[in-house]
Amino acid sequence: MLELLGNALLTIMQWKYLLPLFLGTLMGVIGGAIPGVTITLTIIILLPFTFGLDPLQGLAAMTGVYVGGSAGGLITASLLGIPGTPSAIATTFDGFPMARAGEPGRAVWLGIWASCFGGLIGGLFLVLVTGPLAAIALQFGPWEYFSLFILALAMVAGLAEGSMTKGLISAGIGLLIAMFGNDPVGGIPRFTFGSDFLSGGFPFLPVLIGIFAFSQIMTDVENLSRPKAARASDQVKGSLRVSHLKVIGEIISRPFLLLWTTIVGIAIGVLPAIGGSAANMLAYDQAKKFSPHPERFGKGTPEGIIASESANNANVGGSLVTIMAFGIPGDAVTAVMLGAMTIHGIQSGPLFVSQNAELAYGIYAAYILAHPLMVLIMAVAAVIMLRISQVKLSILAPVVLVLCVIGAYAVNNTMNGVYVLLIFGVVGYALVRTRFPLAPLILGLILGEQIELNLIRAIMTDDNLWLFITRPISGGLLLVALVSVVLSIWQHVRHARRTATVEPDF
Amino acid sequence: MRVGRDGVIGLIVTALSLGLLVQSLSLPQLPLTPIGPGFYPRIVLGLLALAGVVLFIQDVMANRAESSTDGEVQSPPGFWRVPLLFGIVAAYIFLLPILGYRLATILFVLALMPAIEWPTTIRAWATVIAISVATSLVSHLAFERYLLVLLPRGSLTGW
Repeated sequence: MLELLGNALLTIMQWKYLLPLFLGTLMGVIGGAIPGVTITLTIIILLPFTFGLDPLQGLAAMTGVYVGGSAGGLITASLLGIPGTPSAIATTFDGFPMARAGEPGRAVWLGIWASCFGGLIGGLFLVLVTGPLAAIALQFGPWEYFSLFILALAMVAGLAEGSMTKGLISAGIGLLIAMFGNDPVGGIPRFTFGSDFLSGGFPFLPVLIGIFAFSQIMTDVENLSRPKAARASDQVKGSLRVSHLKVIGEIISRPFLLLWTTIVGIAIGVLPAIGGSAANMLAYDQAKKFSPHPERFGKGTPEGIIASESANNANVGGSLVTIMAFGIPGDAVTAVMLGAMTIHGIQSGPLFVSQNAELAYGIYAAYILAHPLMVLIMAVAAVIMLRISQVKLSILAPVVLVLCVIGAYAVNNTMNGVYVLLIFGVVGYALVRTRFPLAPLILGLILGEQIELNLIRAIMTDDNLWLFITRPISGGLLLVALVSVVLSIWQHVRHARRTATVEPDF
Repeated sequence: MRVGRDGVIGLIVTALSLGLLVQSLSLPQLPLTPIGPGFYPRIVLGLLALAGVVLFIQDVMANRAESSTDGEVQSPPGFWRVPLLFGIVAAYIFLLPILGYRLATILFVLALMPAIEWPTTIRAWATVIAISVATSLVSHLAFERYLLVLLPRGSLTGW
C-alpha cells in the first residue's frame, strides 16, 4: 500500500498532474471564498474543462476543488462575517469576532492550519479504510447492495431539513428520473411516449448541473435586492501576518479537540449526502460541549475555529471513502466526480480500488497534496481572494451559466443535454422554492438504476423475497434503514410538539 | 378544508405517479425474466403516490392559516428577475444551434448582465460588451483549441 501511495505521490508531483491539481485547488479556494458560490457550483464550473483531460488529471483537479473549497469559505467567514460556503458557517461564530478584535491573521491562519491538519488526518483515514471497506463490499450479493442503497436513500431522506415526506418525495423523483429511457435489463423503452428526446433517458450530468447551478444562481439573483449582511465598512482591517509556529502550536496543544472534531467530520462525510455544512456545525457543538469554557464560544475562541475547520476538511476524506469503496456519492460534489468518472468509462464501486489502483492511489495522493497547495495559495493570496470574493453577480452568473451549457453539451456533443439542463434547471429552482431538499433527489437519480438492477438480479437468482431480510448483512442494513426512518419521524414529531408548546397561541 | 401549496404539490405528485403507474401496466413482460420492466417502476410510483397523499394530508392537518412558518413564503425582492433570466437562457439555448456558440454567447451575456444589474454609465456598458465578447471568445478558444471540446456550429452562420 505504501509503495503504491509513494508512486502515486511521485506521479501527482509531475507537472502534468500537479498543474491541474493546483488550478483546481485555486479554483476551489476562490469558489469557496465567494459567498453564494458553493463547492458544488465550483466543481460544476470545472467539469467541462476536465472532459479534454485524462481521468487522473480531471479527478486531481476536482479533488483540488473539493479541498480548496472546503477551506476557502473561512476567508470571508473570518474577515467579512459571511461564510463563503455552508461548510464555514460555524467558523464565522468565532473567526469573525477574533478578527474584529484585532487578530485577523490569527483567525484566518488558525482556520487554514486546522483545515490542513483535519484534512490530512482525514486523508490517513481515506488511505487506510477505503481498501478494507471495498473488500467487505466485494462480499456483497445483489440483496446486500439493494439494501445498502435503500439505507443510503433512507438516511438522506430522513436527515433532510424540514419535512421528511418532502425528503422521501424528492428521493422518489430522483428514482423516477432514472427510469426514463430503456430499462436496464431488457432494453425495453419505458415512459418515452414515442419521443426520440426521451428514448435515451435523462443524462445524469446535465440533470445534476441544471438542478444545482440554476437553483443556486436564481436564488442569488432573487436575493440581489436584499440588503447585504455585511457592508464594506464592516470589513476587518489589519494585517494577516502571523507567527505560523505559534498558530500551529495553538492547534497542536489541543490534540483531543483536533482529533475528536476531525473524527466527527470524517463520520459525517462517510454518511451519504449530509455534507460539510452539518460537519462543521456538529463539530462546533461537540467542541463547545467538551470545552471547560463553553461561555467563550461565539466570542472569538480558537477552539471554535479549529473545530469547524478541521471537521469540514476531514469531511472531504470521509466522502471520498464512501464513493471509492461503495460507489455511493457522499454529497453533490462527489456526485459530479462520479459523473466525470462515468464519462471517462470508469466504473466506481468496490472493484474500483483493485481494478484501477493507479487511479485510486492517484486520488489519495491528489487529496494529500492538495492540502499543502491550499496552504500555499492562502499564504500568497488570501487578501486577493477577499477582493475576488466581492465580484458582482452580474459578471459571475453569465460566465457560470455559459460553462454549465458547455458542460451539458459536451457530455454527448448534442443539444439534447442542453435541453435537459434547462428543463431540470426549472425543476431544481421550483423544488428549492417549494422547500424540497435536493440531496435525496440526486442520490435517487444516481442509485436508481443500481437499485433496480440489484433488485432484479436478486429475484432472478432466487425469487424468495424473504432473503432480503434473512440474509444477515442485507437484513441488518434494512433494519438500520428502518431505524433511521423511525428515528427521524420521531425527531420531526418531537420538534413539531416543542414548537407547538413554545409558540404563543395568538 | 384549506389546501396550501404543499397540499397542491402532494396532489400533483400523486396524480403524476398514478398516471405513470397506469402507463407502466402496458409495458411488455420479458419471456426470460420473472419480472418485467414495469415491476420496479410500479413499486416506486406506488410509494411516490402514497407520499404525495401523505404530504396532502399533512398540509391539510397543519391548518396552514395558523402555521405560517413552513407555508406561504413571501417572494424575495428580486423574484421578478427569475422568469426573465430563465427566458434569456431559453432564448440562448434556442439560438445556439442557429447562430453558433460564439455569436449566441455574446448575445446571451449581453442580455443577461443588464437583466441582473442595469448598467447606468457608458463605462458600465463598455464593461458589459467587453465581458460578453471575452466570455465567448476565451471559452471558445480554451475548449475548442486546448480541451478538444467541439462547441455548437450555427446552421445559419456556419461558425
